Amino acid sequence: MDGGALDGVRVLDLTQGVAGPYATKLFSDYGADVIKIERPGGGDITRRIGPFLDDAPHTDAGGLFLDLNTGKRSVTLNLGVESGQQILRRLAAKTEIVFESFRPGTLAGFGLDGATLREVNPAATLISISNFGQDGPYRDLLADDFLLYAAGGVLAKTAAPGREPLRIALYAPLFLVGGMAAAMSIGAYLGARRNEEGERVDFSIMEALATSMDRGSQHLVGLQYSGSYQMTPESIFARASALPGGAYGGVYPCREGYINIIVYAYWWDRFCRMIGRPELIDDPAYTTRLTDPEFGPEIDELFYPWLMERTNREVMLEGQAAGIPVGALNTMDSVFTDPQLRDREYIVTLDHPVAGELEYPGPPFRMSDTPGKLRRAPLLGEHTVAVLSELGYTPEEMVILRQRDVI
Amino acid sequence: MSKQRPLEGIRVISQAIVWAGPAASIVLGELGADCIEIESIQHLTRTRTSMRHPTPEIMQGSFGTAYVNRDSSEGFWNRQSNFNYAKRSHRSVTLNLDSERGRELFYELAKVSDIFIENNAAGVVGKLGIDYETLSAINPRLIMARFPAFGTTGPYRDFKGFAPTMEAVGGHTALRGYRDSDPSMTPGLSHGDPNAGVHVAFAVQAALIARERTGRGQLIDLSHAEAAVHHMAYFFMDYSMNRRVHGHPGNRHPSKAPSGVFPCARAEDDEDERWIAIAIDTDEQFATLCEQMGRPELAQDERFAEVPARHAHQDELEPIIAEWTRELDQRELTDRLQAVGVPAMLVARQDELLLDPHLEERGFWVEVTHPEAGTHRYPARIARFERVPIENTTPAPTLGQHNHEILVDLLRVSEQEYGQLVEDEQIGTVYLDTAT
Repeated sequence: MDGGALDGVRVLDLTQGVAGPYATKLFSDYGADVIKIERPGGGDITRRIGPFLDDAPHTDAGGLFLDLNTGKRSVTLNLGVESGQQILRRLAAKTEIVFESFRPGTLAGFGLDGATLREVNPAATLISISNFGQDGPYRDLLADDFLLYAAGGVLAKTAAPGREPLRIALYAPLFLVGGMAAAMSIGAYLGARRNEEGERVDFSIMEALATSMDRGSQHLVGLQYSGSYQMTPESIFARASALPGGAYGGVYPCREGYINIIVYAYWWDRFCRMIGRPELIDDPAYTTRLTDPEFGPEIDELFYPWLMERTNREVMLEGQAAGIPVGALNTMDSVFTDPQLRDREYIVTLDHPVAGELEYPGPPFRMSDTPGKLRRAPLLGEHTVAVLSELGYTPEEMVILRQRDVI
Repeated sequence: MSKQRPLEGIRVISQAIVWAGPAASIVLGELGADCIEIESIQHLTRTRTSMRHPTPEIMQGSFGTAYVNRDSSEGFWNRQSNFNYAKRSHRSVTLNLDSERGRELFYELAKVSDIFIENNAAGVVGKLGIDYETLSAINPRLIMARFPAFGTTGPYRDFKGFAPTMEAVGGHTALRGYRDSDPSMTPGLSHGDPNAGVHVAFAVQAALIARERTGRGQLIDLSHAEAAVHHMAYFFMDYSMNRRVHGHPGNRHPSKAPSGVFPCARAEDDEDERWIAIAIDTDEQFATLCEQMGRPELAQDERFAEVPARHAHQDELEPIIAEWTRELDQRELTDRLQAVGVPAMLVARQDELLLDPHLEERGFWVEVTHPEAGTHRYPARIARFERVPIENTTPAPTLGQHNHEILVDLLRVSEQEYGQLVEDEQIGTVYLDTAT
């Protein structure tokens, strides 16, 4: 079966940065026609964030932008003037879903608030992604992904005991948020079709992170159930006893690289087999103390020498063969050569007129009949002429618009 | 015609377990699908419990934090917070999929369902005879989503994956970490789980749309590791372009400076440290911060005046800021800095979120009464829908709560057979003593 799952679905994308564009990227990679509106002259802020080939900044070759905006069509439009806002409304009249991530209140200033959208296209759904939501006392606070992560209650959990909280990888929370926004937005679109009326979705990044990041919701509910936190720095970090029946785990060094491992007490036999010490399986010196939280160092003594003889990949294979969850810590170079990712052809090569041929993360899931498909990211304003022609503008009219800094 | 939730009338059957599964379930439940969790009294649903008889000692540990009052008396599996959070608006049926009749009943259910989502270990559905090949022959319109840890193909296919395992393989663990330590000091994270789950929720809806055109379902395969690699896009692309491998950033940012977490004053009864996160975007914000600290000259200091220099001298800058923040209350400091345009945010503690005024005003919480767990606050919805609200207020099901409704009313099993299945302990509402 050819074609994308979302063929025929039109998205008008006013978002920029990471969260919004990742959400619309999912629509784009799975077949929707995503028209991305960018500011003339500069475009999406991620065009400036890089990384850049040889560290040479270029508007059309920022790595994060190239990844986040696969397959979208770029239209440069000056939303600060009436003529630009007219074009925006004409685009909104011919779309199914509008996404925006402006600071709350901004979109109304661009002539496209909820009421106006209803006038020009009652069936169109509006998805608004903002830091704290469209209302509430925090609405206008300044925040980036790091601060939102702090506000969402998750940063408090991710610290080594006795040390300051430690952030998650750059922008990672915003990718998660983008995925959540996509999952809710496609639902909103389905609902809009069903009810023959466009939905309005108010998506708050802080709320999304509070619910989902690191099991936030479950912990908030669990806290009420038992009065205790499920996860604390001590529990995440504990070498032993954190998990039901006791467990030993964490990140360990190998001869080369590191691994992450979890061994429950009732896997003691597997652990012994893994490290080639089957005679310890029934040794009471160990078996009577497996759920003792203080017991870690004795296991370390068995474990470290074995680790030091092996690379992290070897440890992973031997551990998994024994039935233990072991993951080799991949650094980006080993991500690129990881046998699982390569076997599944997860990494995809795309050519681009400015950035050249590069490897990209592939579509995040596979569909047997209507697979996702990556197409390169657009140059700034690359599709302005084509999209405006679709609206009925003549070349002469477009010249005038360009001369007047509207497009 | 009254307004409907987006997925009303769409039936989802699921074995959406542990952490990633429920993250998919919660989306589909909120959107109004008829979600049926396929459970069993022979095998524990790991989202409810991984042990049939947890000892009081175990309940005192972290295992017990998920249960009401850490109480492990019979029925404790109905009083578990992870399940009760994510499976609101779900129905529960127990089937013995190891028996021929149980499988038959599952097939009957698949025939009248639209979507089946499962994140069992990769080999399970094949063994049970509920793989896509079998189910799509029974119901060609069925959409099936499989999301075991590493996906359904490849050399790691049968590997055991827990959240930190996938995080490690995906490259995330190596990109976190304190600047002064090796990865062994990096605390584990589980954001790969909800990430996998929400992608599945998106994917099955995309498949519903495709089905309108094709008239058929399809198979969706998601690997948690792959879905999480994407989050490292910045670093992935730097390697792709420049073959650069990044080390531990701590709380620093590639260009913003200062960016970090700073200690705040502690009240006497505070068990934990208090922190504030500050991330300076512009020179202007930096100058304002220096003013607030009573150190305006730092804004002109050649170590800090220009962004690249400031970025290079964070080791010297951070202690200066920490010395100042240490004396101040995190909430007051947040308000004060925000008021003058400096991005700062207190590091919220989980219990304080339950009473956060912003979340309160946003209608983030809803009270739900569960017949066995009691009444508690739950996150009402992931996003606020204005036209057709999707607040999720129906409590999660107890084990097998809807056995009769589903087997007799929906699948037309006779009352007689239903009674026999109960008597033979094929189905029920209490785990068998021997359940694993």
